[in-house]
Amino acid sequence: MMTGMWALYAREVKRFQKILLDTVFSPLVSVLMYLGVFGVVAGSRTIGEGPHALPYITFVYVGLLGMMMVNSSFSNPSFALIIAKNVGNIIDLQLVPIKAWKVGIAYACAALTRGLFTLVVAILATAWFIPGLGIHSFVYLILALVLTGLEFGMLGVTFGFWAKNFEALTFMTTFIMQPMIFLAGVFFPIATLPAPWATISQFNPIHHNINLLRYAVTGYSDTNPIVSLGVVVGMSVVLFGIMQVVTRKNLRV
Amino acid sequence: MQSLTITGVTKTFETPKKGIFTAVDNVSITIEEGKIHGLLGPNGAGKSTLISMISGILKPTSGTISILGVDVVAETEAAKKLLGIVPQEIVAEVAFTVEEVLYYFSGMYGVSEADRRVRIREVLRELDLEDKMHERARFLSGGMKRRLMIAKAILHRPKFLILDEPTAGVDVSLRQKIWAMVRRLNAEGTTILFTTHYLEEAENLCESITLIDHGKVIKDGNLKDIQQEFSKNIIHFELFDRSATHLAGVQETGNAYEYPMTALGEDMAKLTAHYGDNLKSIRSEAASLEDVFLKLTNSGV
Repeated sequence: MMTGMWALYAREVKRFQKILLDTVFSPLVSVLMYLGVFGVVAGSRTIGEGPHALPYITFVYVGLLGMMMVNSSFSNPSFALIIAKNVGNIIDLQLVPIKAWKVGIAYACAALTRGLFTLVVAILATAWFIPGLGIHSFVYLILALVLTGLEFGMLGVTFGFWAKNFEALTFMTTFIMQPMIFLAGVFFPIATLPAPWATISQFNPIHHNINLLRYAVTGYSDTNPIVSLGVVVGMSVVLFGIMQVVTRKNLRV
Repeated sequence: MQSLTITGVTKTFETPKKGIFTAVDNVSITIEEGKIHGLLGPNGAGKSTLISMISGILKPTSGTISILGVDVVAETEAAKKLLGIVPQEIVAEVAFTVEEVLYYFSGMYGVSEADRRVRIREVLRELDLEDKMHERARFLSGGMKRRLMIAKAILHRPKFLILDEPTAGVDVSLRQKIWAMVRRLNAEGTTILFTTHYLEEAENLCESITLIDHGKVIKDGNLKDIQQEFSKNIIHFELFDRSATHLAGVQETGNAYEYPMTALGEDMAKLTAHYGDNLKSIRSEAASLEDVFLKLTNSGV
């Protein structure tokens, strides 16, 4: 029998599948454009030298996949919940016999599903022209993807319940998320930043998601992957707690 | 068995401008299983706050609410499973078809996959929405959206159904259909709590009512008893021959007459014996629910 939580998860997956143009193909176009620009600018540059040198385009590519995962996972629940608030059908979540923590988990898992779905589509469309792409650590890859999807899914749930309107969401994505993503080492190794930005970037949580994914795929890391894993797990635990409080508060005033 | 038991429920809100505001004040209501009960009151009386507390959306500041013995605060999810709620506001899913809306919503109540497919068709047929099953919910008319909301509320076969002004803004034909459906669900054993602004609707459907105003219960009980209590205690009659001699106490009111009633049966017999074949019509005047409502709330509806 389908449990209530599973039905909610299935509904949220169905929702993003209904608007694939927005949810999957729009980020794919962004990735392709970034790759086009960076492919031309980077040429045959590498990160590091010798046999372990990493083509710059590959470095950027994995960063872009991480960025895509972060954005997709965050957008799915935050948009869905803010739309529900505006339309008024947030009441459905208040009425159904599903505990608040399960509501949060269902939305976060749907966010992870969208992140993975978007990622797979992007990889299928673009990986063939990225040099030296492989899997350095399968375990790290699974951890990086699942934890990143859930972490930003939970952030999206939290923000979706907390935000009053789309202006708040725009503010969050434009003035907080995007700068953090751009300073997370998506496009360059953070070690190349001048002081104190290199140190400050270590405290940017998104850096550790990107770093973990990049290590899993290429074996290259700006920061010790164990540290990044610890930060990502820690952030996930903290966000889980915050999500519970915010969700419960919003589903039961 | 009591279907709904509300005991000493109070809900206060703290607002920056008004300070502490009491929306529901020490309300106690019981509704027996199998009844249709009306919850009436002027705008801002506290009906919606009370319904939100019964639904498990709002937590009472004090007091207890239980549905079929299940405490709404302590066992919220178990209580919610027993409930079906048609909210006042018409809302529709943006992305989904009518069938999808019902499929996922009933899934959230734990209705099995196989049962859902059958129930969706059943309920949509009953509400005349079967042909709209594959249409996007957002493109339905207002009346159709209202029916979809009713379908959502009854698909999981709730034991206790709350209808918060379900006929607001719907046409006469649909109103009749909703009434028929409410009666049928009730006949099948569903207890129904009904709020409405159409007092004739409450008179038509409800066996018992609770009138609330300013967050307090001002009258609660069997509808007929309440109407009797507030009836004007007057017998109206008309005569063919207006020159007849009258009983003491009879007053002329235009073309008719009024007689102060002390005991309905005896007074009717007295008037019938006195006027005999000269009586054109005779009736006692029971208070309408509107009279009761206006008397108790001192307001319009």
